[in-house]
Amino acid sequence: MNQTKKTTRRGFLDWLIAAFSAVAGLAMTIPGLMYLWPAAKGGAAEAVEISGAGQMKPGQSVTLQVGGKPVIVVRGRTGFLAFSASCTHLGCLVTWETQKKHFACPCHAAVFDANGGVVSGPPPAPLPPYVIKEIGEKVYVSAPA
Amino acid sequence: MGFPGPIRKFLERRYDTEVAEGFLDKQIHKRLPPHTGWLHVFGSLAMLLFISQTLTGIMLLIYYRPTPDEAYKSIQFITGSVHFGWLYRQVHAWGASLMILALVFHMIRTFFMGSYKKPRELTWVTGVLLFLVTITFGFTGYLLPWNQIAFWATTVGTESANKVPVIGAWLQYFLRGGDSVTGETLSRFFVVHVIILPWILAGLIGVHLFLMRACNLATMEDVDAEKKIPSEHGIPFFPVHVAKEGVVAVFLVAVLVTLSVVAPWEIGEPANALSTPAHIKPEWYFLPSYQLLKYFEGEYGAVIGIFACGVPFALLVFWPFLDRGKARHPKKRPIAVGLGLIGLLGALFLGYLGHVSETEQTYFGQRYHIDLLGWPNKIVEGEDAPSEAPH
Ligand code: HEM
Ligand code: FES
Repeated sequence: MNQTKKTTRRGFLDWLIAAFSAVAGLAMTIPGLMYLWPAAKGGAAEAVEISGAGQMKPGQSVTLQVGGKPVIVVRGRTGFLAFSASCTHLGCLVTWETQKKHFACPCHAAVFDANGGVVSGPPPAPLPPYVIKEIGEKVYVSAPA
Repeated sequence: MGFPGPIRKFLERRYDTEVAEGFLDKQIHKRLPPHTGWLHVFGSLAMLLFISQTLTGIMLLIYYRPTPDEAYKSIQFITGSVHFGWLYRQVHAWGASLMILALVFHMIRTFFMGSYKKPRELTWVTGVLLFLVTITFGFTGYLLPWNQIAFWATTVGTESANKVPVIGAWLQYFLRGGDSVTGETLSRFFVVHVIILPWILAGLIGVHLFLMRACNLATMEDVDAEKKIPSEHGIPFFPVHVAKEGVVAVFLVAVLVTLSVVAPWEIGEPANALSTPAHIKPEWYFLPSYQLLKYFEGEYGAVIGIFACGVPFALLVFWPFLDRGKARHPKKRPIAVGLGLIGLLGALFLGYLGHVSETEQTYFGQRYHIDLLGWPNKIVEGEDAPSEAPH
Protein backbone atom coordinates (compact mmCIF):
# COMPACT_ATOMS: atom_id res chain seq x y z
CA MET A 1 0.00 0.00 0.00
CA ASN A 2 2.58 2.40 1.19
CA GLN A 3 4.86 1.48 -1.67
CA THR A 4 2.45 2.42 -4.47
CA LYS A 5 1.96 5.92 -3.08
CA LYS A 6 5.64 6.64 -2.71
CA THR A 7 7.22 8.69 -5.46
CA THR A 8 10.49 7.16 -6.47
CA ARG A 9 13.35 9.27 -7.74
CA ARG A 10 12.93 7.55 -11.11
CA GLY A 11 9.18 8.22 -11.25
CA PHE A 12 9.72 11.85 -10.37
CA LEU A 13 12.29 12.27 -13.14
CA ASP A 14 9.91 10.67 -15.66
CA TRP A 15 7.22 13.05 -14.58
CA LEU A 16 9.56 16.02 -14.82
CA ILE A 17 10.70 15.10 -18.32
CA ALA A 18 7.10 14.68 -19.48
CA ALA A 19 6.08 18.03 -17.98
CA PHE A 20 9.03 19.87 -19.50
CA SER A 21 8.44 18.28 -22.90
CA ALA A 22 4.80 19.32 -22.81
CA VAL A 23 5.65 22.91 -21.88
CA ALA A 24 8.41 23.12 -24.49
CA GLY A 25 6.13 21.57 -27.12
CA LEU A 26 3.35 24.06 -26.42
CA ALA A 27 5.79 26.97 -26.33
CA MET A 28 6.93 26.03 -29.83
CA THR A 29 3.51 25.14 -31.25
CA ILE A 30 1.62 28.28 -30.31
CA PRO A 31 3.86 30.77 -32.14
CA GLY A 32 3.97 28.34 -35.06
CA LEU A 33 0.19 28.28 -35.32
CA MET A 34 0.01 32.06 -34.94
CA TYR A 35 2.56 32.39 -37.74
CA LEU A 36 0.20 30.46 -40.02
CA TRP A 37 -2.74 32.74 -39.23
CA PRO A 38 -3.05 35.31 -42.04
CA ALA A 39 -1.62 38.66 -40.97
CA ALA A 40 -3.95 41.62 -41.57
CA LYS A 41 -2.83 43.67 -44.53
CA GLY A 42 -4.13 47.04 -43.38
CA GLY A 43 -6.24 49.25 -45.60
CA ALA A 44 -9.55 48.19 -44.02
CA ALA A 45 -10.76 51.80 -43.98
CA GLU A 46 -9.44 52.41 -47.48
CA ALA A 47 -11.45 54.75 -49.69
CA VAL A 48 -10.84 54.11 -53.39
CA GLU A 49 -11.37 56.76 -56.02
CA ILE A 50 -13.48 55.58 -58.91
CA SER A 51 -11.42 56.61 -61.90
CA GLY A 52 -13.50 57.89 -64.79
CA ALA A 53 -16.59 58.29 -62.58
CA GLY A 54 -17.33 61.59 -64.28
CA GLN A 55 -17.60 59.91 -67.69
CA MET A 56 -19.97 57.15 -66.50
CA LYS A 57 -23.50 57.44 -67.87
CA PRO A 58 -26.56 56.46 -65.85
CA GLY A 59 -26.94 52.67 -66.00
CA GLN A 60 -23.23 52.02 -66.44
CA SER A 61 -21.23 50.03 -63.94
CA VAL A 62 -17.64 49.32 -62.98
CA THR A 63 -16.03 46.65 -60.79
CA LEU A 64 -13.00 47.52 -58.70
CA GLN A 65 -11.09 46.33 -55.63
CA VAL A 66 -11.69 48.04 -52.31
CA GLY A 67 -9.58 46.78 -49.43
CA GLY A 68 -8.79 43.69 -51.48
CA LYS A 69 -12.44 42.85 -52.08
CA PRO A 70 -14.37 43.23 -55.36
CA VAL A 71 -16.97 46.00 -55.34
CA ILE A 72 -19.44 46.91 -58.08
CA VAL A 73 -20.41 50.54 -58.53
CA VAL A 74 -23.47 51.52 -60.59
CA ARG A 75 -24.26 55.02 -61.77
CA GLY A 76 -27.97 55.59 -61.20
CA ARG A 77 -30.00 58.55 -62.36
CA THR A 78 -29.38 60.53 -59.22
CA GLY A 79 -26.06 59.23 -57.96
CA PHE A 80 -23.81 56.24 -57.44
CA LEU A 81 -24.63 52.97 -55.70
CA ALA A 82 -22.01 50.49 -54.54
CA PHE A 83 -22.28 46.87 -53.39
CA SER A 84 -19.95 44.01 -52.69
CA ALA A 85 -19.64 42.27 -56.05
CA SER A 86 -19.15 38.84 -54.47
CA CYS A 87 -22.36 36.85 -54.77
CA THR A 88 -23.47 35.85 -51.28
CA HIS A 89 -24.03 32.31 -52.53
CA LEU A 90 -20.55 31.05 -53.42
CA GLY A 91 -18.54 34.16 -54.21
CA CYS A 92 -18.74 34.55 -58.01
CA LEU A 93 -18.82 38.16 -59.19
CA VAL A 94 -22.18 39.65 -60.10
CA THR A 95 -22.54 41.93 -63.09
CA TRP A 96 -24.97 44.81 -63.58
CA GLU A 97 -27.47 44.29 -66.38
CA THR A 98 -28.26 47.76 -67.61
CA GLN A 99 -31.41 46.79 -69.55
CA LYS A 100 -32.96 44.67 -66.83
CA LYS A 101 -31.82 46.98 -64.02
CA HIS A 102 -30.60 44.15 -61.84
CA PHE A 103 -27.45 42.32 -60.77
CA ALA A 104 -26.95 38.83 -62.19
CA CYS A 105 -24.58 36.10 -61.05
CA PRO A 106 -23.00 33.97 -63.80
CA CYS A 107 -22.52 30.93 -61.57
CA HIS A 108 -25.97 29.77 -60.52
CA ALA A 109 -28.14 32.34 -62.24
CA ALA A 110 -29.02 34.39 -59.15
CA VAL A 111 -30.64 37.81 -59.59
CA PHE A 112 -30.37 40.74 -57.15
CA ASP A 113 -32.41 43.93 -57.47
CA ALA A 114 -30.92 47.42 -57.73
CA ASN A 115 -30.79 47.64 -53.92
CA GLY A 116 -28.88 44.38 -53.59
CA GLY A 117 -31.91 42.36 -52.44
CA VAL A 118 -32.25 38.74 -53.60
CA VAL A 119 -34.84 38.37 -56.36
CA SER A 120 -34.22 34.76 -57.32
CA GLY A 121 -31.66 32.00 -57.07
CA PRO A 122 -29.75 30.36 -54.25
CA PRO A 123 -28.07 33.30 -52.42
CA PRO A 124 -28.98 33.34 -48.69
CA ALA A 125 -28.45 37.10 -48.17
CA PRO A 126 -28.53 40.43 -50.01
CA LEU A 127 -25.38 42.02 -51.46
CA PRO A 128 -23.77 44.11 -48.67
CA PRO A 129 -23.75 47.82 -49.60
CA TYR A 130 -20.60 49.95 -49.77
CA VAL A 131 -20.37 53.64 -48.96
CA ILE A 132 -20.10 56.29 -51.68
CA LYS A 133 -18.65 59.73 -50.99
CA GLU A 134 -18.63 62.48 -53.57
CA ILE A 135 -16.07 65.19 -52.92
CA GLY A 136 -16.29 67.82 -55.62
CA GLU A 137 -15.76 66.05 -58.95
CA LYS A 138 -14.27 62.99 -57.32
CA VAL A 139 -16.18 59.88 -56.23
CA TYR A 140 -14.84 57.55 -53.55
CA VAL A 141 -16.05 54.15 -52.43
CA SER A 142 -15.24 52.54 -49.09
CA ALA A 143 -16.35 49.67 -46.89
CA PRO A 144 -19.13 50.47 -44.42
CA ALA A 145 -17.78 51.43 -41.00
CA MET B 1 19.46 -11.62 -53.99
CA GLY B 2 22.59 -9.85 -53.00
CA PHE B 3 25.06 -7.15 -53.78
CA PRO B 4 27.85 -7.68 -56.35
CA GLY B 5 31.18 -8.94 -54.97
CA PRO B 6 33.32 -5.97 -53.97
CA ILE B 7 30.49 -3.87 -52.60
CA ARG B 8 29.23 -6.87 -50.68
CA LYS B 9 32.65 -7.44 -49.13
CA PHE B 10 32.93 -3.79 -48.18
CA LEU B 11 29.55 -3.85 -46.46
CA GLU B 12 30.06 -7.24 -44.84
CA ARG B 13 33.20 -6.08 -43.07
CA ARG B 14 31.26 -3.24 -41.50
CA TYR B 15 27.66 -4.26 -40.99
CA ASP B 16 25.56 -7.27 -40.19
CA THR B 17 24.33 -7.62 -43.79
CA GLU B 18 22.52 -10.88 -43.21
CA VAL B 19 19.61 -9.20 -41.45
CA ALA B 20 19.05 -6.69 -44.24
CA GLU B 21 19.48 -9.29 -46.97
CA GLY B 22 17.22 -11.73 -45.22
CA PHE B 23 14.54 -9.07 -44.95
CA LEU B 24 14.82 -8.03 -48.59
CA ASP B 25 14.85 -11.62 -49.71
CA LYS B 26 11.70 -12.38 -47.76
CA GLN B 27 9.90 -9.34 -49.17
CA ILE B 28 10.88 -10.05 -52.75
CA HIS B 29 10.03 -13.75 -52.72
CA LYS B 30 6.92 -13.38 -50.59
CA ARG B 31 4.11 -15.73 -51.58
CA LEU B 32 0.82 -14.03 -52.34
CA PRO B 33 -2.59 -15.75 -52.14
CA PRO B 34 -3.38 -17.92 -55.18
CA HIS B 35 -6.18 -15.63 -56.44
CA THR B 36 -3.80 -12.65 -56.73
CA GLY B 37 -4.17 -11.42 -60.28
CA TRP B 38 -4.80 -8.43 -62.49
CA LEU B 39 -7.33 -6.96 -60.07
CA HIS B 40 -4.52 -6.58 -57.57
CA VAL B 41 -2.45 -4.14 -59.66
CA PHE B 42 -4.41 -0.93 -58.98
CA GLY B 43 -2.47 -0.18 -55.81
CA SER B 44 0.82 -0.49 -57.69
CA LEU B 45 -0.67 1.62 -60.45
CA ALA B 46 -1.45 4.41 -57.98
CA MET B 47 2.07 4.18 -56.60
CA LEU B 48 3.61 4.33 -60.06
CA LEU B 49 1.55 7.43 -60.67
CA PHE B 50 2.76 8.97 -57.43
CA ILE B 51 6.33 8.37 -58.54
CA SER B 52 5.52 9.91 -61.92
CA GLN B 53 3.83 12.91 -60.24
CA THR B 54 6.85 13.43 -58.02
CA LEU B 55 9.31 13.33 -60.90
CA THR B 56 7.26 15.48 -63.28
CA GLY B 57 6.36 17.82 -60.38
CA ILE B 58 10.03 18.38 -59.59
CA MET B 59 10.69 19.05 -63.27
CA LEU B 60 7.88 21.64 -63.37
CA LEU B 61 9.22 23.28 -60.22
CA ILE B 62 12.39 24.28 -62.02
CA TYR B 63 10.52 26.79 -64.20
CA TYR B 64 7.29 27.35 -62.29
CA ARG B 65 6.95 30.62 -60.26
CA PRO B 66 4.30 30.72 -57.52
CA THR B 67 3.24 34.39 -57.72
CA PRO B 68 0.13 35.94 -59.30
CA ASP B 69 2.28 37.97 -61.71
CA GLU B 70 4.41 35.09 -62.88
CA ALA B 71 2.56 31.81 -62.39
CA TYR B 72 0.49 31.89 -65.58
CA LYS B 73 3.40 33.16 -67.67
CA SER B 74 5.73 30.55 -66.25
CA ILE B 75 3.32 27.78 -67.31
CA GLN B 76 3.15 29.32 -70.77
CA PHE B 77 6.93 29.36 -70.81
CA ILE B 78 7.07 25.70 -69.75
CA THR B 79 4.64 24.60 -72.44
CA GLY B 80 5.84 26.96 -75.17
CA SER B 81 9.59 27.30 -74.83
CA VAL B 82 11.13 24.70 -72.53
CA HIS B 83 12.23 21.53 -74.36
CA PHE B 84 9.56 18.88 -73.72
CA GLY B 85 8.00 21.22 -71.16
CA TRP B 86 4.57 20.59 -72.69
CA LEU B 87 5.04 16.86 -72.17
CA TYR B 88 5.92 17.09 -68.49
CA ARG B 89 3.08 19.50 -67.79
CA GLN B 90 0.59 17.26 -69.61
CA VAL B 91 1.83 14.09 -67.95
CA HIS B 92 1.55 15.80 -64.57
CA ALA B 93 -1.95 17.11 -65.23
CA TRP B 94 -3.21 13.81 -66.67
CA GLY B 95 -1.34 11.84 -64.00
CA ALA B 96 -3.32 13.65 -61.33
CA SER B 97 -6.65 12.44 -62.72
CA LEU B 98 -5.39 8.94 -63.44
CA MET B 99 -3.96 8.65 -59.92
CA ILE B 100 -7.36 9.36 -58.43
CA LEU B 101 -8.97 6.94 -60.87
CA ALA B 102 -6.45 4.24 -59.93
CA LEU B 103 -7.24 4.78 -56.25
CA VAL B 104 -10.97 4.55 -56.91
CA PHE B 105 -10.49 1.19 -58.64
CA HIS B 106 -8.17 0.04 -55.86
CA MET B 107 -10.81 0.91 -53.26
CA ILE B 108 -13.55 -0.82 -55.26
CA ARG B 109 -11.42 -3.97 -55.46
CA THR B 110 -10.60 -4.09 -51.74
CA PHE B 111 -14.15 -3.20 -50.78
CA PHE B 112 -15.94 -5.87 -52.80
CA MET B 113 -13.37 -8.56 -51.98
CA GLY B 114 -13.80 -7.82 -48.27
CA SER B 115 -10.06 -7.29 -47.89
CA TYR B 116 -10.60 -4.53 -45.32
CA LYS B 117 -11.83 -6.97 -42.70
CA LYS B 118 -9.92 -8.11 -39.65
CA PRO B 119 -6.93 -8.07 -39.35
CA ARG B 120 -6.54 -5.45 -42.11
CA GLU B 121 -8.75 -2.64 -40.81
CA LEU B 122 -5.88 -0.20 -40.43
CA THR B 123 -4.60 -0.93 -43.93
CA TRP B 124 -8.01 0.24 -45.18
CA VAL B 125 -8.01 3.31 -42.91
CA THR B 126 -4.57 4.41 -44.16
CA GLY B 127 -5.85 3.77 -47.69
CA VAL B 128 -8.80 6.14 -47.24
CA LEU B 129 -6.40 8.76 -45.82
CA LEU B 130 -4.21 8.30 -48.89
CA PHE B 131 -7.25 8.93 -51.06
CA LEU B 132 -8.13 12.13 -49.17
CA VAL B 133 -4.54 13.39 -49.38
CA THR B 134 -4.49 12.70 -53.11
CA ILE B 135 -7.72 14.65 -53.61
CA THR B 136 -6.17 17.54 -51.67
CA PHE B 137 -3.20 17.29 -54.02
CA GLY B 138 -5.59 17.80 -56.90
CA PHE B 139 -7.37 20.73 -55.27
CA THR B 140 -4.15 22.60 -54.40
CA GLY B 141 -2.43 21.82 -57.71
CA TYR B 142 -5.39 23.03 -59.72
CA LEU B 143 -4.86 26.64 -58.56
CA LEU B 144 -1.17 26.75 -59.43
CA PRO B 145 -1.48 27.74 -63.14
CA TRP B 146 -3.40 30.84 -61.90
CA ASN B 147 -5.88 30.78 -64.76
CA GLN B 148 -9.50 31.95 -64.75
CA ILE B 149 -11.10 28.56 -64.26
CA ALA B 150 -8.71 27.65 -61.43
CA PHE B 151 -9.04 31.01 -59.72
CA TRP B 152 -12.83 30.90 -59.70
CA ALA B 153 -13.14 27.19 -58.94
CA THR B 154 -10.91 27.84 -55.93
CA THR B 155 -12.97 30.87 -54.93
CA VAL B 156 -16.16 28.81 -55.00
CA GLY B 157 -14.46 25.79 -53.38
CA THR B 158 -13.08 27.78 -50.45
CA GLU B 159 -16.39 29.64 -50.16
CA SER B 160 -18.02 26.28 -49.40
CA ALA B 161 -15.67 25.98 -46.40
CA ASN B 162 -17.50 29.00 -45.01
CA LYS B 163 -20.58 26.81 -44.58
CA VAL B 164 -18.87 24.52 -42.08
CA PRO B 165 -20.58 25.07 -38.71
CA VAL B 166 -18.90 27.31 -36.11
CA ILE B 167 -15.38 27.44 -37.56
CA GLY B 168 -16.42 28.02 -41.21
CA ALA B 169 -15.46 31.69 -41.46
CA TRP B 170 -12.09 31.12 -39.79
CA LEU B 171 -11.41 28.07 -41.89
CA GLN B 172 -12.06 29.99 -45.09
CA TYR B 173 -9.89 32.93 -43.97
CA PHE B 174 -7.13 30.52 -43.03
CA LEU B 175 -7.27 28.55 -46.30
CA ARG B 176 -7.26 31.71 -48.39
CA GLY B 177 -4.67 33.49 -46.30
CA GLY B 178 -7.08 36.43 -46.22
CA ASP B 179 -10.56 37.48 -47.27
CA SER B 180 -10.37 36.48 -50.90
CA VAL B 181 -8.24 34.34 -53.19
CA THR B 182 -4.99 36.26 -53.74
CA GLY B 183 -1.25 35.68 -54.02
CA GLU B 184 -1.38 34.64 -50.35
CA THR B 185 -3.67 31.78 -51.34
CA LEU B 186 -1.35 30.81 -54.16
CA SER B 187 1.64 30.69 -51.76
CA ARG B 188 -0.26 28.57 -49.28
CA PHE B 189 -1.53 26.14 -51.87
CA PHE B 190 1.92 25.96 -53.42
CA VAL B 191 3.65 25.04 -50.15
CA VAL B 192 0.99 22.46 -49.34
CA HIS B 193 1.13 21.02 -52.85
CA VAL B 194 4.87 20.67 -53.34
CA ILE B 195 6.26 20.10 -49.82
CA ILE B 196 3.69 19.15 -47.22
CA LEU B 197 1.49 16.73 -49.12
CA PRO B 198 4.32 14.85 -50.88
CA TRP B 199 5.90 14.01 -47.50
CA ILE B 200 2.60 13.12 -45.91
CA LEU B 201 1.71 10.92 -48.85
CA ALA B 202 5.14 9.24 -48.93
CA GLY B 203 4.91 8.52 -45.18
CA LEU B 204 1.37 7.17 -45.47
CA ILE B 205 2.35 4.96 -48.40
CA GLY B 206 5.16 3.56 -46.23
CA VAL B 207 2.75 2.70 -43.42
CA HIS B 208 0.17 1.33 -45.87
CA LEU B 209 2.69 -0.99 -47.55
CA PHE B 210 4.15 -2.07 -44.21
CA LEU B 211 0.69 -3.02 -42.94
CA MET B 212 -0.13 -4.71 -46.25
CA ARG B 213 3.00 -6.88 -45.96
CA ALA B 214 2.53 -7.54 -42.24
CA CYS B 215 -0.80 -9.31 -42.86
CA ASN B 216 -0.07 -10.42 -46.45
CA LEU B 217 -2.85 -9.94 -49.01
CA ALA B 218 -6.25 -11.19 -47.97
CA THR B 219 -7.55 -14.48 -49.25
CA MET B 220 -11.26 -15.01 -49.89
CA GLU B 221 -11.63 -17.07 -46.71
CA ASP B 222 -13.68 -15.82 -43.78
CA VAL B 223 -12.25 -13.69 -41.00
CA ASP B 224 -10.22 -15.77 -38.50
CA ALA B 225 -10.38 -18.75 -40.87
CA GLU B 226 -7.63 -17.62 -43.22
CA LYS B 227 -4.99 -20.28 -43.75
CA LYS B 228 -1.35 -19.35 -43.93
CA ILE B 229 0.00 -19.71 -47.45
CA PRO B 230 2.62 -22.46 -47.57
CA SER B 231 5.74 -21.50 -49.50
CA GLU B 232 5.18 -24.02 -52.30
CA HIS B 233 1.69 -22.60 -53.00
CA GLY B 234 0.67 -19.07 -53.74
CA ILE B 235 1.95 -16.64 -56.30
CA PRO B 236 5.56 -15.53 -55.89
CA PHE B 237 5.68 -11.75 -55.65
CA PHE B 238 8.85 -11.87 -57.75
CA PRO B 239 8.77 -12.63 -60.61
CA VAL B 240 5.08 -13.33 -61.23
CA HIS B 241 3.34 -10.34 -59.68
CA VAL B 242 6.20 -7.96 -60.45
CA ALA B 243 5.88 -8.94 -64.11
CA LYS B 244 2.21 -7.92 -64.09
CA GLU B 245 3.20 -4.60 -62.53
CA GLY B 246 5.81 -4.14 -65.26
CA VAL B 247 3.14 -4.61 -67.91
CA VAL B 248 0.98 -2.07 -66.12
CA ALA B 249 3.88 0.41 -65.97
CA VAL B 250 4.46 0.12 -69.73
CA PHE B 251 0.76 0.63 -70.44
CA LEU B 252 0.70 3.58 -68.08
CA VAL B 253 3.51 5.38 -69.88
CA ALA B 254 1.77 4.72 -73.21
CA VAL B 255 -1.56 6.01 -71.90
CA LEU B 256 -0.01 9.12 -70.30
CA VAL B 257 1.88 10.09 -73.42
CA THR B 258 -1.09 9.36 -75.70
CA LEU B 259 -3.48 11.44 -73.60
CA SER B 260 -0.93 14.25 -73.41
CA VAL B 261 -0.71 14.39 -77.19
CA VAL B 262 -4.33 13.66 -78.10
CA ALA B 263 -6.19 15.53 -75.34
CA PRO B 264 -3.92 18.21 -73.88
CA TRP B 265 -5.08 20.32 -70.94
CA GLU B 266 -5.62 23.90 -72.02
CA ILE B 267 -4.21 26.75 -69.93
CA GLY B 268 -7.12 29.06 -70.76
CA GLU B 269 -7.27 32.70 -69.76
CA PRO B 270 -5.10 34.18 -67.00
CA ALA B 271 -6.87 34.76 -63.66
CA ASN B 272 -8.88 37.98 -63.41
CA ALA B 273 -10.15 38.82 -59.93
CA LEU B 274 -12.63 41.31 -61.42
CA SER B 275 -14.57 39.05 -63.76
CA THR B 276 -16.10 35.61 -63.30
CA PRO B 277 -16.29 33.45 -66.43
CA ALA B 278 -19.47 31.54 -67.23
CA HIS B 279 -19.70 27.84 -66.33
CA ILE B 280 -17.07 27.19 -63.72
CA LYS B 281 -17.08 23.61 -62.62
CA PRO B 282 -14.59 21.72 -60.50
CA GLU B 283 -12.50 18.75 -61.58
CA TRP B 284 -14.45 15.54 -62.22
CA TYR B 285 -13.62 14.01 -58.85
CA PHE B 286 -15.31 16.91 -57.05
CA LEU B 287 -18.46 16.83 -59.20
CA PRO B 288 -20.49 14.53 -56.90
CA SER B 289 -19.91 16.78 -53.85
CA TYR B 290 -20.38 19.87 -56.00
CA GLN B 291 -23.76 18.65 -57.19
CA LEU B 292 -24.87 17.34 -53.79
CA LEU B 293 -24.18 20.74 -52.18
CA LYS B 294 -26.60 22.39 -54.61
CA TYR B 295 -29.61 20.60 -53.11
CA PHE B 296 -29.05 22.14 -49.70
CA GLU B 297 -29.78 25.85 -49.72
CA GLY B 298 -30.26 28.57 -47.16
CA GLU B 299 -28.37 29.13 -43.95
CA TYR B 300 -29.22 25.79 -42.32
CA GLY B 301 -29.51 23.89 -45.56
CA ALA B 302 -25.90 24.66 -46.42
CA VAL B 303 -24.76 23.24 -43.10
CA ILE B 304 -26.71 20.05 -43.74
CA GLY B 305 -25.15 19.98 -47.21
CA ILE B 306 -21.64 20.03 -45.76
CA PHE B 307 -22.61 17.13 -43.50
CA ALA B 308 -24.15 15.27 -46.41
CA CYS B 309 -20.83 15.59 -48.25
CA GLY B 310 -18.77 14.61 -45.21
CA VAL B 311 -20.77 11.58 -44.12
CA PRO B 312 -19.79 9.34 -47.07
CA PHE B 313 -16.10 9.97 -46.33
CA ALA B 314 -16.56 9.37 -42.60
CA LEU B 315 -18.38 6.13 -43.46
CA LEU B 316 -15.47 5.11 -45.68
CA VAL B 317 -12.89 5.73 -42.94
CA PHE B 318 -14.76 3.77 -40.28
CA TRP B 319 -16.27 1.14 -42.53
CA PRO B 320 -14.15 -1.83 -41.31
CA PHE B 321 -15.32 -1.14 -37.77
CA LEU B 322 -18.97 -0.85 -38.79
CA ASP B 323 -19.08 -3.96 -40.97
CA ARG B 324 -17.88 -6.69 -38.62
CA GLY B 325 -19.35 -9.67 -40.47
CA LYS B 326 -16.97 -12.59 -40.93
CA ALA B 327 -17.62 -13.36 -44.58
CA ARG B 328 -15.29 -11.99 -47.24
CA HIS B 329 -16.74 -13.37 -50.45
CA PRO B 330 -19.09 -10.81 -52.03
CA LYS B 331 -21.75 -13.48 -52.58
CA LYS B 332 -21.99 -13.93 -48.83
CA ARG B 333 -22.26 -10.20 -48.05
CA PRO B 334 -25.42 -8.95 -49.82
CA ILE B 335 -25.91 -5.91 -47.56
CA ALA B 336 -22.35 -4.56 -47.73
CA VAL B 337 -22.20 -5.20 -51.47
CA GLY B 338 -25.60 -3.56 -51.95
CA LEU B 339 -24.61 -0.48 -49.96
CA GLY B 340 -21.32 -0.28 -51.84
CA LEU B 341 -23.11 -0.41 -55.18
CA ILE B 342 -25.63 2.22 -54.09
CA GLY B 343 -22.81 4.52 -52.98
CA LEU B 344 -20.88 3.99 -56.18
CA LEU B 345 -23.85 4.46 -58.51
CA GLY B 346 -25.02 7.43 -56.45
CA ALA B 347 -21.65 9.13 -56.81
CA LEU B 348 -21.62 8.39 -60.55
CA PHE B 349 -25.16 9.72 -60.99
CA LEU B 350 -24.50 12.90 -58.98
CA GLY B 351 -21.24 13.41 -60.85
CA TYR B 352 -23.08 13.06 -64.15
CA LEU B 353 -25.76 15.56 -63.06
CA GLY B 354 -22.99 17.94 -61.99
CA HIS B 355 -21.34 17.50 -65.35
CA VAL B 356 -24.46 18.22 -67.45
CA SER B 357 -26.05 20.83 -65.15
CA GLU B 358 -26.52 24.21 -66.84
CA THR B 359 -25.87 22.79 -70.32
CA GLU B 360 -28.02 21.63 -73.20
CA GLN B 361 -28.20 17.92 -73.92
CA THR B 362 -29.99 15.67 -76.37
CA TYR B 363 -31.71 12.56 -75.02
CA PHE B 364 -33.57 10.32 -77.51
CA GLY B 365 -33.58 13.04 -80.15
CA GLN B 366 -35.07 15.71 -77.89
CA ARG B 367 -33.09 18.78 -76.80
CA TYR B 368 -33.18 19.60 -73.09
CA HIS B 369 -31.85 22.46 -71.05
CA ILE B 370 -30.50 20.90 -67.83
CA ASP B 371 -30.97 23.28 -64.93
CA LEU B 372 -28.81 23.90 -61.89
CA LEU B 373 -30.22 20.92 -60.01
CA GLY B 374 -29.85 18.58 -62.96
CA TRP B 375 -33.53 18.66 -63.93
CA PRO B 376 -34.10 18.43 -67.71
CA ASN B 377 -36.40 21.03 -69.29
CA LYS B 378 -37.60 20.36 -72.83
CA ILE B 379 -36.50 22.92 -75.36
CA VAL B 380 -39.33 23.60 -77.79
CA GLU B 381 -38.27 24.71 -81.27
CA GLY B 382 -38.60 28.42 -81.90
CA GLU B 383 -38.75 29.29 -78.22
CA ASP B 384 -35.90 30.88 -76.34
CA ALA B 385 -34.06 28.86 -73.76
CA PRO B 386 -35.59 29.63 -70.33
CA SER B 387 -32.59 31.70 -69.22
CA GLU B 388 -33.02 34.02 -72.21
CA ALA B 389 -36.70 34.65 -71.54
CA PRO B 390 -37.90 38.05 -72.81
CA HIS B 391 -38.57 40.65 -70.17
C1 HEM C 1 4.69 14.83 -55.28
C2 HEM C 1 5.19 15.86 -55.75
C3 HEM C 1 4.47 16.90 -56.60
C4 HEM C 1 5.06 18.07 -56.96
C5 HEM C 1 6.46 18.52 -56.59
C6 HEM C 1 4.09 18.80 -57.77
C7 HEM C 1 4.31 20.06 -58.36
C8 HEM C 1 3.43 20.76 -59.14
C9 HEM C 1 3.68 22.02 -59.80
C10 HEM C 1 4.97 22.83 -59.72
C11 HEM C 1 2.56 22.38 -60.49
C12 HEM C 1 2.34 23.64 -61.34
C13 HEM C 1 2.56 23.36 -62.79
C14 HEM C 1 1.30 23.02 -63.52
O1 HEM C 1 0.24 23.54 -63.18
O2 HEM C 1 1.36 22.23 -64.44
C15 HEM C 1 1.60 21.33 -60.27
C16 HEM C 1 0.33 21.31 -60.82
C17 HEM C 1 -0.63 20.35 -60.56
N1 HEM C 1 -0.50 19.24 -59.75
FE1 HEM C 1 1.23 18.66 -58.82
N2 HEM C 1 2.94 18.06 -57.87
C18 HEM C 1 3.11 16.88 -57.15
C19 HEM C 1 2.19 15.85 -57.00
C20 HEM C 1 0.88 15.89 -57.44
C21 HEM C 1 -0.12 14.87 -57.19
C22 HEM C 1 0.10 13.57 -56.41
C23 HEM C 1 -1.29 15.30 -57.78
C24 HEM C 1 -2.70 14.68 -57.83
C25 HEM C 1 -3.13 13.54 -57.58
C26 HEM C 1 -1.03 16.58 -58.40
C27 HEM C 1 -1.95 17.36 -59.10
C28 HEM C 1 -1.69 18.54 -59.77
C29 HEM C 1 -2.64 19.24 -60.60
C30 HEM C 1 -4.11 18.86 -60.89
C31 HEM C 1 -1.97 20.38 -61.12
C32 HEM C 1 -2.51 21.42 -62.13
C33 HEM C 1 -2.06 20.93 -63.49
C34 HEM C 1 -2.25 21.92 -64.61
O3 HEM C 1 -3.34 22.50 -64.74
O4 HEM C 1 -1.28 22.08 -65.35
N3 HEM C 1 0.30 16.90 -58.17
N4 HEM C 1 2.14 20.36 -59.42
S1 FES D 1 -22.34 32.04 -56.71
FE1 FES D 1 -23.82 33.42 -57.35
S2 FES D 1 -25.55 32.18 -57.61
FE2 FES D 1 -24.07 30.78 -56.87
